[in-house]
Amino acid sequence: MGIETENQIIEKDMRDLALKLLTNHEVDVIIGYTKGTIPLSSSPIMITKPEEVDKLVWNNLCYVNLAKYLVPRIPQLVDPEKGNLKIGIIAKGCVGRALIHLAVENQIDLENIKIIGIPCNGIINRKKIEKEVGEKEILEVYASGDNIIVKGKNFEQKYAFDQYINELCKVCKVKTPPSIPDLMNSCMGECQEISSVEDSFSDLDEFEAKSSKEKWDYIKTTLETCTRCYACREACPMCYCNLCFVDQNKPVWFSKTTDLPDIIVFHLIRAMHLAGRCVACGACSSVCPMGIDLNLITRKLEKIVKERYNFTSGLNKEKLPPMMSFSMKDTEDFMLEED
Amino acid sequence: MTVQSQQEKSSQEKWEPKIIAFLCNWCSYAGADLAGVSRIQYPPNIRIVRVPCSGRVNPYFIIKSLTDGWDGVVVSGCHPGDCHYLTGNLVARRRFAILKELLEFFGIEPGRVNFMWASAAEGERFAMLIRKATKIVKALGPNKKFDKNW
Amino acid sequence: MDQKILMKNEIGKFYIELAEDYNFYAPVNEKGIITFKKVLNSGGIVLDYLNSKVPPKEILFPKMEVLFEYKLDGKEVEIEDRKDLNEKNIIFGIRPCDAHSFILLENFFGLGDTPDEIFLKKRQNTTLIGIGCNTPRTTCFCTSIEGHPFNKVDFDIFLVDLGEKYLLEAVSDKGRELVKKFSWLKDAKKDDLKQAERLSKEAEEAIVTKLDLSHIDKVLDPNFDHPIWKEISEICVGCGTCSFLCPTCTCFDVIDETNQYNNKGRRVRIWDTCQFCLYTLHTSGHNPRDSCIERCRNRIMHKFSYYPENYNVLGCVGCGRCVQLCPVNNDLRSIIQKINQIENKKKEAEKISA
Repeated sequence: MGIETENQIIEKDMRDLALKLLTNHEVDVIIGYTKGTIPLSSSPIMITKPEEVDKLVWNNLCYVNLAKYLVPRIPQLVDPEKGNLKIGIIAKGCVGRALIHLAVENQIDLENIKIIGIPCNGIINRKKIEKEVGEKEILEVYASGDNIIVKGKNFEQKYAFDQYINELCKVCKVKTPPSIPDLMNSCMGECQEISSVEDSFSDLDEFEAKSSKEKWDYIKTTLETCTRCYACREACPMCYCNLCFVDQNKPVWFSKTTDLPDIIVFHLIRAMHLAGRCVACGACSSVCPMGIDLNLITRKLEKIVKERYNFTSGLNKEKLPPMMSFSMKDTEDFMLEED
Repeated sequence: MTVQSQQEKSSQEKWEPKIIAFLCNWCSYAGADLAGVSRIQYPPNIRIVRVPCSGRVNPYFIIKSLTDGWDGVVVSGCHPGDCHYLTGNLVARRRFAILKELLEFFGIEPGRVNFMWASAAEGERFAMLIRKATKIVKALGPNKKFDKNW
Repeated sequence: MDQKILMKNEIGKFYIELAEDYNFYAPVNEKGIITFKKVLNSGGIVLDYLNSKVPPKEILFPKMEVLFEYKLDGKEVEIEDRKDLNEKNIIFGIRPCDAHSFILLENFFGLGDTPDEIFLKKRQNTTLIGIGCNTPRTTCFCTSIEGHPFNKVDFDIFLVDLGEKYLLEAVSDKGRELVKKFSWLKDAKKDDLKQAERLSKEAEEAIVTKLDLSHIDKVLDPNFDHPIWKEISEICVGCGTCSFLCPTCTCFDVIDETNQYNNKGRRVRIWDTCQFCLYTLHTSGHNPRDSCIERCRNRIMHKFSYYPENYNVLGCVGCGRCVQLCPVNNDLRSIIQKINQIENKKKEAEKISA
């Protein structure tokens, strides 16, 4: 089955479900994706009327993590008269994981949320395609068969779908949102029962084999174009602190300049704050205006918590994340010991 | 050998690392005190900062030390199960595990940041581990990665 | 005559003669992205590009800029001002929209009793050499803000890509002085000028986005509290990409860095954006722009209402970067259309209720 046929089926099922939910007033608003105004993009949309369900689309360009709109820092979804609205959210696997993890951290109440699960088949790597096309304007992008077709004024190019999706999508193990055992009414559409994932993290072997100097040079080359715009932080559903550590001024921990040491420290500490919380949605890399690929760091975060604490974020509402718990039996292999 | 490289070589041999050590008040700081009272020799490269518990050590302290130019960081606390505040060092152990893996992933030499347990009665152990940490950091050379050159 | 021909293979010669006295900034391709950098040889210069992601405001108003450095000697403080402000700069190969942005930046930094000397000095010492847009993008709308893809008025020297050569025209006195040094440039012929005219017309026709900005400030001013702002800002996540990559956005934060172990420090300014929630946070804890609604509204009003009020010109250059790079595709063109519709919808509502 070609990608576009898959997408059509997903889109139809999604619209049917959305129509049912809105018509029966089971939800007040549905958050989903709509077609972007420029190629290679999509736009989040919030619809409130059954007539609007045809605006919902599913194409492989839906890269924003919609769970971001539910964190308390963004108060758009509180109706002054009704109080909290009943929300339906179009959830691919990583969005579902984000919702569950936010519930574990007591930031959202899953009782008011209907998760409309869809089986995500991968998100196109926009930056990779833009770089390959170069300085020619892209006018149309669509999936066909096993390929992505990119058209401009005087050119048409074909890219293999499997190779031009985001790096994180290539190794994704949670393509549909996890279902929640004690809230079975919350999950509609395609959800899966999943309590753990198996992952060899073999995509990191090449990087881990490098020497310290090689690693530093690679990280340096990847991050040096960072403009400290914090789009990655704003797109991440897990970055919901009212005062981010970079903005703290009592005391000033780290400088906000674009000097290389400051850039690296920002990404290092942000990664540390996301350990055990990141759901590998890839939104940070997709929204970066400079095209920085943070997937390597994301994968390492997943590897650390999986290998040390056998934990994968966003699968289970009951299991506490590694940074919120501790055990006498934790491994100590990294400690300095007597000879 | 030119005069300049001769000077560089001898200054390199003379170079001593500056290591900042966060010691928990109840065990490790007392252990360091015992080492001092017992006249056990250990390298003078460490500068001690006393904290109530190893769980007080915020990873920001460690990273800020590296960005400020310290060549090495040592964090020492009570053995698991012996924490004065019962579970502070267990919380710290998780934090340090993740921090150490991430630092290594970013290309910061693994030997620069070290974690250890040393109790109040272990003066000799404390000195031995500090000797070991200093040797590791000295071999790595000065910490120039975070220099901002101004 | 002011119009000359610069062959494409003469760019190297052009560069070498200028690089002796000037810092030469030009578009280069770095890791697949076009950026403006100071070039050390002419090999990397790319003039066949759509537009850069980070606008050339970055050259004179960098992401991070040292204002001054200081040294402490006991209780004495010694301040060291910038020493490089008298260096001469050439910014080569920028687009007319970006050149217009420099006019708007000068307005901002020169306003009032405390003009920004650092920016103004650098601007005085900078010569702008630009190039027309043979192939504007579908997201460009410079013609809607009284601009044009071949607008040369804001440049010192203007180039047109004629295929194998460039038509080079000195526009300002500064430009004419510079062109005199290049005595080896041949004069342009009538055919070259005709071709440039033709390319200019084709480029104008290629601009498909046309926004009605003729009375946008009149629509915006009375509608500060209109419910449409909630709809416009609904999907905004407050990331700040639009302001960071806008050629006319100038907000900055000032931070002090201290090197306490060496008794010195410096004051640095870095880009900031009104889209961050901390931007208007008062020390009391009150925040007049508490949510995305107010912040999104602020940005639009600043560009299309406050800026015209202060400087008699729209604060947008129509480059389309915000449209291209917004992570949630909150398209400025749709926003402007919605705003223009406010008055129409009001009239319709009045008709219905009458």
